[in-house]
Amino acid sequence: MRFARYLLALLLAGTAAQALAVPDGRALYQLHCSACHQFEGAGGIGLPLAKKKLDETSEEYLFKSIRYGRPGRVMPAYREMSDAQVHAIVRFMRERTGSVAREYDPAPLSGDLEHGAALYEEHCEKCHGDEGTGEGKGTGVTLSRERSFLVMPSSVANSGFLDSVTDQQMHHIISVGREESDMPGYTKKGLSEEDINALVAYVRKLGTEAGGPTPIDPEEPLSHVTESSEDFETTLANVKAALVGANFRNFPDRFLEQGLIDEFSVNQRQVAVRFCNFSELYGMLSIEPRLGVVLPCRVTVMERADGQVILVTPNLKVVSRWFNNDELVELWEAMEETFQEIIEEATL
Amino acid sequence: MLRALIMAALLLVAGNGLADEMLMARLNMKADLAVEYLKTAVEEHGYSVAHIQLCDGGMKDFGYKSDTYRVVFFGKVDEVRWISETHPEFVAYVPLKMAVVAEKDEAVLSIVNPQTFNQYYRGDEQMRIQFARWYNDIRSIIADMHRAAGQKQLAMELIQ
Repeated sequence: MRFARYLLALLLAGTAAQALAVPDGRALYQLHCSACHQFEGAGGIGLPLAKKKLDETSEEYLFKSIRYGRPGRVMPAYREMSDAQVHAIVRFMRERTGSVAREYDPAPLSGDLEHGAALYEEHCEKCHGDEGTGEGKGTGVTLSRERSFLVMPSSVANSGFLDSVTDQQMHHIISVGREESDMPGYTKKGLSEEDINALVAYVRKLGTEAGGPTPIDPEEPLSHVTESSEDFETTLANVKAALVGANFRNFPDRFLEQGLIDEFSVNQRQVAVRFCNFSELYGMLSIEPRLGVVLPCRVTVMERADGQVILVTPNLKVVSRWFNNDELVELWEAMEETFQEIIEEATL
Repeated sequence: MLRALIMAALLLVAGNGLADEMLMARLNMKADLAVEYLKTAVEEHGYSVAHIQLCDGGMKDFGYKSDTYRVVFFGKVDEVRWISETHPEFVAYVPLKMAVVAEKDEAVLSIVNPQTFNQYYRGDEQMRIQFARWYNDIRSIIADMHRAAGQKQLAMELIQ
């Protein structure tokens, strides 16, 4: 009892001390940002955070970008971080790059939408897509993967971007371009102030039209458990046959406990049937390089203590949402249907 | 009462910092070496490495530059048995898996944040404690990896 009280006091004291500490921007950056943006901000899974780019951005833009993230585009929203922590990260990014914030007038710009649409189609659509959702697959730069762009063009219709950027900052970026990502400056290319205002207005309009995956039903289960009317061996064989029928390649089976205990003690009535379609897999990895954390696809066949055989599969609709990647959500919603068909075929 | 308070405190500590569904870390070491360190760190935390999945066979044929993509499966047999008996729906997510991907001379680690599962077990204290333990162990394993890569400051931040 006394030990438990001591433990509780220790835990609470630790938490209180942490809450009082001045946020360390460098440590926070390394902890939350460097996995995607790299230590030096060179980019990887995330976009580069180079001096030139930061010189063109306001403090508010960086703060809000961290706070709101980019919904559906991998970067999470750090809503639970304190203001002080977010400011510390921004401060660290400034110190590391020696960049100076550029402040923008927050007043909105107005422009001719029809003219903006025509200009967008002519100058922007090729890279940013007709709906402003960015062209190409995934985000970030091409470190591990071959990609058609040096830096994946941003989704300008993304709510996280539009909630972070002011019209004046967008105007400035279009005007001077982004040298590090091959985006040309459009003032040099002959666009007038009015032209750029029209483009800004049109991009805002794209934002209001931007869709996204349907929000997931909160009642959606984490996984599916299906009872089989057949015995263990028959069910196992049926699952494998159904997978081959659906063009998947089966990997060698593994017992659920295999590798966790000696081979004589393993429960052999719990088998993970693992499978893959390599062509689809590599396509998906190009969209979401972290996919390995939920691979390979598998159906777990288990015989319970009462003899009932069950099949357990992850709910891909739920799993796909963990990556904050709309492209993956679309693909995996289709894959979920395939999974359900396989289970149906194996159990009917 | 005291038990509930201790659990609340544990969850409070576990909930600090990362709110993401994915836990990620970048290490100043090559991916092959990172896999070796990860195996050691996992075992030092009382887990067994069930197996290591090679995901990079043929990746270059599909246009990838990275030559290393491994998934390390790890777990504790007692936990897996308890889950398969009491929460069979959760066997789809055990053993735990951590992906190790090469990015030039660095390695990027990714793993699903066990706290992500809390929302499906709101009234299940035992599962929530299990997720909190996994979360704390994963943070500690990643801290060990940072230490091994010479990133001491990060290791300190993670174990605070």
